[in-house]
Amino acid sequence: MSLRSSITIVASPRPRVGKTLLARLLADFHLQQNRSVATFDLNTGDRTLAQFLPEKTKVATVRDINGQMALFDRLIADEDTTKVVDLGHDSFEPFFSVTHQIGFVEEARRRSVAVAILFIVTPDHTSIEAYRSLRARFARAALAPVHNEILGPAQHRDKYPLVGGGPGIVRLPMLAPGLRRYIDTPPFSFADSNTGGAVDIPLAAHVELQRWLRRIYLEFRELDLRILLADLQASIRLNS
Amino acid sequence: MARPAVILVGADKGGVGKTTVARTLIDYFGAHQTPTRAFDTEWPRGTLKRFHPDLTEVVDVTSVSDQMKIFDTLGSAEAKVTVIDVRAGLLSSTLQALTDIGFLESAKKGQITFAVFHILGPSIASLEEIAETARVMGDANYFLVKNFINNTTFFEWDPATYNSYFKRIKGAEEITIPKLNEMAYEQVEVASVPFVSFVGNKGAKGEAANYSFVLRGYVRHWLGNVWGEFDRVKLVDLVAPKMESNVRQAAG
Repeated sequence: MSLRSSITIVASPRPRVGKTLLARLLADFHLQQNRSVATFDLNTGDRTLAQFLPEKTKVATVRDINGQMALFDRLIADEDTTKVVDLGHDSFEPFFSVTHQIGFVEEARRRSVAVAILFIVTPDHTSIEAYRSLRARFARAALAPVHNEILGPAQHRDKYPLVGGGPGIVRLPMLAPGLRRYIDTPPFSFADSNTGGAVDIPLAAHVELQRWLRRIYLEFRELDLRILLADLQASIRLNS
Repeated sequence: MARPAVILVGADKGGVGKTTVARTLIDYFGAHQTPTRAFDTEWPRGTLKRFHPDLTEVVDVTSVSDQMKIFDTLGSAEAKVTVIDVRAGLLSSTLQALTDIGFLESAKKGQITFAVFHILGPSIASLEEIAETARVMGDANYFLVKNFINNTTFFEWDPATYNSYFKRIKGAEEITIPKLNEMAYEQVEVASVPFVSFVGNKGAKGEAANYSFVLRGYVRHWLGNVWGEFDRVKLVDLVAPKMESNVRQAAG
């Protein structure tokens, strides 16, 4: 089975760990690869995905049955569009509870769509337990811990064991502090900044930004390949 | 030759979900490839028939000729399992009628397998129905069904009271039907298809349908739990002990 597309869920039960930034970077990475992309925002508050990528983002909720239908029915359909979900911390458990109950990952796999969960790691007990729970519940999803380097050194890596045969840890390197203000003001699109988009950035800053983006896109390409490889290995196991 | 089995699904009160339970039973036996036929006593329009039109006949259970249609054909019918969805308020009188025609005697003698699924309502009055039923049941297989499907509230009776009634019937088993999301339930109603068809995204004639994936997921999960209860009380062994059952993974 060859994968038609992927659905990536950016998650953490903690707020303010970089989920929206990661979701934006992923969306722009896929756009750079000329893929059709749809993003889903399950966040509240300011500087949300919907503000950075207004045309592509659908604001969603899992609080009620209508919201669930609007989100998951849309996620499972249209198998050739790559999807990124920015999962707000207070929607973490309701979202994964529904995902588990309705057999979402299995159905996606049946339709040749990979489901990846990018879990931003933090040292607290809640997150460690949440990761463990995801690992137990979603054996067929590609679960990858993400180390957002701005949060500090990765001292707790042993608490986030890798899924055998799955993707390794994804590194989100820190951006130089002076550059953050350029990317943190909506609407800012990384893809547009490549083509000399609307925002005025000094050349030096632009070069540094591009360097940072290249490192990150390398991580994403590696992630893509690992997901593909894991899928191939699974197919071989099934067919042998 | 396989022994015929009759399952009465009834309640003395309306709206407790007996037709829903009858539907899950029909799907369950279907998944176990156990040929089943059903009689819908909600004469004349029926409530079960629209979900399982090919297996179900609407009958007037108070008419002798319709009674003969059901019980005289038990041995000769191709389908060895007969599910009877008994109209609200008629459970006790139906059981009495069965006693009168000697049906329960045949069951006692082992010529027929007989089971009653008694769907309980949450009110305290429903407990009295158990006592009523116990009077006529004798040795038949008795299943007390607590149906939470559309009752999010607790049952009014306390466990001690419940147990005292429950213990009056020898060999009684308890079955719990858990809650199903209201919208999911409603959509199946609107689609007028068996639960299994809804889960499989199929219409009434087996054609591809377009039901919500989320709702199908909820129904699949719920049906799996309900069938888990039927597995737990070894229902297939009870009604079709000699058949090899290959369970189709219809419940996902």
